[in-house]
Amino acid sequence: MDSSAGTTLDRARVDAGLSHSELFLRYFELGGMSSALELEAFCYGAIHPTAHDYDVVAHALNERFSELGRNHPVAYSD
Amino acid sequence: MTALQGNNRDFGVVTNMIGDQVVLTVNGDIDLTSAPRLAAALDDAIGRGHRSVAIDLAALGFMGIAGLRLIAGATARLAASGGELVIHTAPTHVRRMLDITGLGARVRLEDGHPCATRPGPDAAGSVSVLQDTDAASPVDAESPIDTVSRADAVSRADTVSRADAVSRADAASRADTRSRIAALSAGDDVVDGIVRLVVTLARATVGGADGVSVSLRRHGRLATVAASDQTISDMDAHQYATGEGPCVDASRTGTWFHTASLADEHRWPAFSPLARTLGINAILSAPLVAHDQPVGSLNIYSRATGAFAVADQELAMAFAHQASLVLTDVGVGLPDDQLSRRLTDALRTREVIAQAVGVVMERQGVGEEEAYTNLRRTSQRTSRPLRAHAQEIVSSIRRPLPDPPRPEPVIGRHG
Repeated sequence: MDSSAGTTLDRARVDAGLSHSELFLRYFELGGMSSALELEAFCYGAIHPTAHDYDVVAHALNERFSELGRNHPVAYSD
Repeated sequence: MTALQGNNRDFGVVTNMIGDQVVLTVNGDIDLTSAPRLAAALDDAIGRGHRSVAIDLAALGFMGIAGLRLIAGATARLAASGGELVIHTAPTHVRRMLDITGLGARVRLEDGHPCATRPGPDAAGSVSVLQDTDAASPVDAESPIDTVSRADAVSRADTVSRADAVSRADAASRADTRSRIAALSAGDDVVDGIVRLVVTLARATVGGADGVSVSLRRHGRLATVAASDQTISDMDAHQYATGEGPCVDASRTGTWFHTASLADEHRWPAFSPLARTLGINAILSAPLVAHDQPVGSLNIYSRATGAFAVADQELAMAFAHQASLVLTDVGVGLPDDQLSRRLTDALRTREVIAQAVGVVMERQGVGEEEAYTNLRRTSQRTSRPLRAHAQEIVSSIRRPLPDPPRPEPVIGRHG
C-alpha cells in the first residue's frame, strides 16, 4: 500500500460527507478493530493500516457512496 | 503491524516510563499532519491502563487546534479512570489556549522537565523506553476472532456454536469499545471551551470584526455559548426573543447571511434598528452544521458599513466550517437517545457480521480474514450492504423451532 493511501481515504471521507466520528461508527459497525484515534491516523496517512483494516475502511466509505447513489469509488487493497 | 510515517518529517514523539508515569516527549509542531502520531502514542499509553500520563512540550514549535483536541480527549479519558494528564513546559501560546478553553483547570501544568519534577528515586535512573506501540494493537492482541480460528473441521451444528463464541468474545470487548465511542461525545464544558477559542480567534483575525459570538441550540433553544462582549451577547438574546435576525436565520436554515449595511436591510424589522442604535452596521452570520443539521451560528458584527471584504467573508466561512467539523466530532447535534440508538444498532450489526464470518469460515474452510473478504466482495458485487448479506447468512443456519408436542390421542374413555 503506497503512502498516499491515507490521504486518499481522507479525501473520500470528505467527499462522502462523513465526519471522523461517523466514519468510525460505520467502520466499527462493519467489524473494524482499531480505535477512533487510530482510524483518524489512517486517514491522515500517519499510520498505515493492515490491508484487511484498510479494506474495512474502504468498504465503510463505499457503502456510504452507495447510499448517495454512486458507485464504489474507493479501491480495495486487492 | 503498523508503521509510523508522518508527513511532518521534523515531528517526533518519544515515549518513556519515569517511575509509574508515561512521559511523551514531543519534538516539532503539533498540526493536522502530526497530531495523529501523538494521538496514537496517547491512545497507546491510556489504552495500556496508565493513569498518569505526561506530555513534555519543551521542544514544541507550534501547537494548533488539533493538539488542543488531543489534550481535551486525553484529559477526559484519563479523568474517567481516575487519572490525570500532566503537561510540562507548555509554551505561552499553549497556556493561552488552555486558559481560553478552560482546559487549563483540568490538566496539571508543570514548569520543569518531567525528570526534574518527579520526586524520589523515579527521578533518576528508572527511565525506560516503552515497546513499540504496535505490540498493543487490538489486531495483534488475542482478538475475539482468534478464539475461534483454531477449530478446523466441525459439524454444521458446531457452526452455530462457533458463531456464538465469536459473539460472546466480541461482547467481552464491548465495555472497552463503548468507552472508546463514548469519548467521542464530549460534555458541554469541552464544547464551550472550543467555542470560546473560535470566538477569540475570529475576533483577532477577521478584518472588520468588532464583536463575535457563537450561538448553539441546546435543549431545543438557541443560546449564546460565547461572546466577545456583553453588547454582542445582548444582541443575540434579542434575536432569540423575537425569533428574527441573522443568527436565528443562519441557525435555523443552515445558510449564510451577510449584511453590508443594516441601513438598507429590511429582512429583520425588529432587529436591524436595535443593532444600529447599538452602533452595529454590518453583520456576518455563518451556520454551524453538525451531523448534517444546522446547530447554531458564528456571528461577526462590525461598526463600519461594508466592513467585511471578500477575503474576510471567506475567512469567516472557513472558521465556521472548521468549527462545524470539531462540533461534529465531539457529538454536538446528536441527542443522547439518538446516539445511544446509533451505538446499539452498530453493535447489533457488528455481531451479525461476526456470526456470518464464523459461518463462512466453516462452510468454505477458510480463515477469518478470507471469510470476511469473501463476504465483502459479495456485498460489493451485488451492491447490497454487508449487514444485509450477513443477516441472510445467519438466518439461513437458524433451525426452525421443533413443533410443540401434540397431546396423546384419546383412544377410549373409561367412565
